[in-house]
Amino acid sequence: MRNEDTVMERSSAITKSDITKSMWIYWLGAELSNSYERLQSLIFCASMIPILKKLYKDKEKLSEALKRHLIFFNTEGTLGAAIQGIAIAMEEENARKDSGSSAITSIKTGLMGPLAGMGDAIIWAALMPIIIAVFIPLAKQGSPLGGLLPLILYPAITLGISYMLIHNGYQLGKISILNMLKGNRMKSIIFTANVIGLFMMGALSASYVKLTTPMVVVMAEGSKIVVQDILNMIVPGLLPLVAVYGIYWYLTKRGPYYSRILAAVVVFSLVASILGIL
Amino acid sequence: MDILILAILMGLYYWFARLRLGYTFSSMLLQPVVIGVFVGIISGNMILSMQIGAGLQLVYLGVTSTPGGNVPSDPALAGCIAIPLGVLANMSPEVAIALAIPFGVLGVFVDQLRRTLNAIFVHMADRYAEKADTGGIMRAAFVYPAILGFIIRFPVVFAINYLGESVVQQLLATLPQWLLHSFELMGGILPALGFAITIKVIGKNSLMPFFIMGYFAVVYLKFDVMAAAIFGTCIALLLKLIMFGKEATSNAK
Repeated sequence: MRNEDTVMERSSAITKSDITKSMWIYWLGAELSNSYERLQSLIFCASMIPILKKLYKDKEKLSEALKRHLIFFNTEGTLGAAIQGIAIAMEEENARKDSGSSAITSIKTGLMGPLAGMGDAIIWAALMPIIIAVFIPLAKQGSPLGGLLPLILYPAITLGISYMLIHNGYQLGKISILNMLKGNRMKSIIFTANVIGLFMMGALSASYVKLTTPMVVVMAEGSKIVVQDILNMIVPGLLPLVAVYGIYWYLTKRGPYYSRILAAVVVFSLVASILGIL
Repeated sequence: MDILILAILMGLYYWFARLRLGYTFSSMLLQPVVIGVFVGIISGNMILSMQIGAGLQLVYLGVTSTPGGNVPSDPALAGCIAIPLGVLANMSPEVAIALAIPFGVLGVFVDQLRRTLNAIFVHMADRYAEKADTGGIMRAAFVYPAILGFIIRFPVVFAINYLGESVVQQLLATLPQWLLHSFELMGGILPALGFAITIKVIGKNSLMPFFIMGYFAVVYLKFDVMAAAIFGTCIALLLKLIMFGKEATSNAK
């Protein structure tokens, strides 16, 4: 009996390279098959295939497991690797003891929201624009390195993070990850990323949002007042700041209606251009 | 380079970049600075190509963070059209950028179409899962969306690049000055949308003073981006030390 058990275990043992393979599949296709209906469900299921095929030799069970991972799933793909690691550990447990496959789904749905929020803030809102912006001066001089360096650095950094997370997630299992999410350490990392992100957004806004007014007010006695000069006397760079803050305010109050804002920017630019106020 | 080959190559590039093969790799392929490298190689004019790419990148810099993958505008479509046309017609970067903005908006709709149609493949995968056909699921996740992507993406870029510079030049010549100026304005304001989205994603209203600090570090102290990255990081790390103490950093795991 005991002998049989170890044989069973060995035949279904997930190796480190299986887990890495799973990470690569998810990374390769996270957005490729993305649909409005179930977002990343298809790629998450596909990424579990190397694992599930090893765990479930029985066709019925394999089919069940595949369907389990085709339900709605969406998160930020870099940090999402942690969810993969946990899901792999839980599937392995489930294959051994046939215990609680519903727990796998609920832990996935429970983690995908918080990790998406963190990932969007760290990986996309801070890391990506900073990497691009740092090399823009090179590109402006006409050097291809301005494009090639971000192209190499960004995937390399994010893949490194994914690799660490999927293996740690697998080792730690669900409880430790939840503790880590709640813990002080995670809070301090997010705080640091938020501060850097916001500071950089301010710097980038000032550098790259271009808005000045050519308006000139002619006074009765014939003297001219250049409006931009007056604005500069009060606070330089006021108009771009108003633009960023105005849009941010609208997003917070009304919600993420990007197309509506885009249309508003187009109309506003046309009107301002015709009237000659900007 | 023959215009036909250039148009085909640009169409293929746009298809491949928008395929999103490689989560964080393809997201960089979509950026104008990277498209600039590609156009520079195939056109032989690396310097102008990179300059237009850099200018266009500034417009779309903030639009990199897209919660839920919703693109508020498509830098890749803008880049795959404006950079090659700009290089061939020897346009100044500003004119090429003005040319690109409308295409960036058009790209949004193309992507919405893709993600709507992609739902077909999830339903196919449902059926494959029923039969435990793992090969079928892999095809539904990679091959079929790639074919769909080619059909809806290649023709746009190919056609516009092939019809080429003469048409675009004529078009630009007929456009009135106020319309061209409004494109410039859009180019100046659009980054604001991108940065606003990013601030919203970060979602910490109480930390907004750091945004103001970064902003006026550039306005008053004339920081460049690298300087801002260095000082911003140091400020963040110091504050972390003060707020969370040393143990938060040292007792890893």
